Amino acid sequence: MSLQILINGIATGSIYALIATGFALIFNVLKFSNFSHGATMTASAFVAYFLLEGRGLGLVPTLLVAAAAGALIALVGEFVGFRRILLNHSSATYFFVSSITLGTLYEGLVTIKAGSNFFNFPRFFSTPTINIGQQVISTSDVVMFCISMVALLILAFIIQKTRLGRALRAISFDRDTAQLMGINSTRIIQLTFVISGVLAGIAGVFLGIKYTLYPTLGSLVVKGFIASVIGGLGSLTGAVIGAVLLGVVETILLSLLGSGYSTIATFGIMLVFLLFRPQGIAGSNVQEKA
Amino acid sequence: MKKLIALLIALVMVFSLAACGSSGSSEPTAETEPEQEQAPAEESGETEEPAEPAEESGETEEPAEPAEEGGEILIGCLQDITGATSTLGSSVQAGAQAAVDEINANGGIGGKTLVMKTYDTKGDVTEAVNAFITAVTVDQVALIVGPPVANIANAIKETAEGYDVPVMGFALDPTCQIKEDGTAYKNMFCFQPSATAQGTIMAAYALQNGLKTFGILYNQENSYSVSLLAPFTDRLAEDNITIDEKLIVPYGAADTDYKTLLQPIVSAGVDAIYCPNYTQQLVAIEQAAADLGYQGKIITGLDGAPNFNELYGADCSNVYYINNINTDDPDTAEMAAAVEGQVSAVNKYFLGYDVVMIAKQCIETAGLDDPAALRDAIANVSGFEGLTGTITMDPATHMPGNMAMFMYTYDNQTPVMLGEFAG
Repeated sequence: MSLQILINGIATGSIYALIATGFALIFNVLKFSNFSHGATMTASAFVAYFLLEGRGLGLVPTLLVAAAAGALIALVGEFVGFRRILLNHSSATYFFVSSITLGTLYEGLVTIKAGSNFFNFPRFFSTPTINIGQQVISTSDVVMFCISMVALLILAFIIQKTRLGRALRAISFDRDTAQLMGINSTRIIQLTFVISGVLAGIAGVFLGIKYTLYPTLGSLVVKGFIASVIGGLGSLTGAVIGAVLLGVVETILLSLLGSGYSTIATFGIMLVFLLFRPQGIAGSNVQEKA
Repeated sequence: MKKLIALLIALVMVFSLAACGSSGSSEPTAETEPEQEQAPAEESGETEEPAEPAEESGETEEPAEPAEEGGEILIGCLQDITGATSTLGSSVQAGAQAAVDEINANGGIGGKTLVMKTYDTKGDVTEAVNAFITAVTVDQVALIVGPPVANIANAIKETAEGYDVPVMGFALDPTCQIKEDGTAYKNMFCFQPSATAQGTIMAAYALQNGLKTFGILYNQENSYSVSLLAPFTDRLAEDNITIDEKLIVPYGAADTDYKTLLQPIVSAGVDAIYCPNYTQQLVAIEQAAADLGYQGKIITGLDGAPNFNELYGADCSNVYYINNINTDDPDTAEMAAAVEGQVSAVNKYFLGYDVVMIAKQCIETAGLDDPAALRDAIANVSGFEGLTGTITMDPATHMPGNMAMFMYTYDNQTPVMLGEFAG
């Protein structure tokens, strides 16, 4: 197995980590799996593509625009799809159904604007490869990994070291009590969606660079979901560990077993986790799952 | 009160769904005449005149009675207007519509106006079968301009056997036209060289240019991709070149990690990677190969043709592809330039145009009263001078024999014609 395959796996895993943490954040706070996250990724990547098309701007402006678009889309989604359900203290099933509906809506809107065609981001890197001794490493893999890690470190800092993070953790633990302690839960939930949207925007651009941009690109959110399950639903650390592990294992299996078997093996691993360690690697066992 | 409101909302939703349902996928999407389909008659060059009658081939029975003056002849156009291969289907549809417009501008067929209804397969086999059944049973089209995608043609071939409506398509996988017992599906026709011819040409070109080591990346779930595999390797085998099995890498529709799939091929340092795939996959594969530092050539099949270069958006000088049209020919180049900004795949536009012109010739020859006669006329088309070359059908295979194809590469992102190859 070459170093390139390992790096490819880690880079893929780091993108899955962006998806999985965005996913886990919402699960942490509202205790449901937000399946509109995938379509948010796609929509924000498309917004960045169309706004910056032909302007010759680099990767960073593209990521910033996508992150802003993701934040806005997630914020609107929170208001339209989840706010009323939240205020009514409705069952988690309603959140789940609403997230599926929102995702379908976003995907439909993207298809209307973009058609069913695919698009390709411009080449952001003048040199596609980096040579380290005998090894050839993809520049895009290295850059994606580094940016993903920086984004995740910033997220970890926000959650662990800031008032917002403490409030988020408090709401995640017990929303009603946190509210009684004076935390504006609606505002914190909005901010959680914004952070989740930012992560979705960055992940959307990276997926677009890797696999081309098309309206159903968001279906890759399943990978984020699997990573969350492996890591432990609701655990941010677990989501990152699970995602990188998934990316590496998937790449190695594809390299060793070839197409077909590797997909079966990936889903098999998820089933094994659900069977023997439903709380995932991080051990965070959230009972309310939808 | 709340119950009443809920009931009203439910009723509104039901009616909305019913309204949406009336424009469902199995219905024709439009009797389309978008801007892109308007090809000025003068751009059509020599094909403006009716091609030589089919009886000159010596195969067809007596010409049918001239059609009555007035009225309409309805044909169907079953294409991937949306979906992953929509660039191909839309281009065929645009070319076919241009031909319909030109025919009508010149008096129609036997005084009847030719009308084409387009049915969107959405790139989905179930949608395609439903659309086909709608076309032949509800709309009762005289014939169908078929899809350029082999998976779709494969899906409808058995259903088509139960009707008397010819499907004049472009699926180069021979299994779309020929049954396992070697006989032809009575209604399925292909109007471009078969996968056997195209795969052989690409291998011959590679050998002529001194390429000796190859890897293959193909989509095992796609008939187009699979059908181009054996002809290529068989031609190489004739020159005693075999490909290591480890370097023949299949993938499926769900696979997106081309970098990992390509890794063993790139590591082996092959002269060329053969990857007959659709444009979207080709763009991702070319990108992955570049990311792995691959320096060799990539031979792509038809879908490496423009607009692959625009979608890839970078230097693709290492890409080699086969094409139906010769853009070095001044007339072809002029017509291609006229439609270039309006359609995504110019070669598919030309195929669509040609097939409607062939349909016109066959209807004029055989009429529409006897489906068997119309089928015979199509199966025995001979020496038709089209935009994609001289088309002579083989009645046994329902595919053209000995049609020339052209190999191309890119100079950075500009297509460069390399040579003509006999089929």
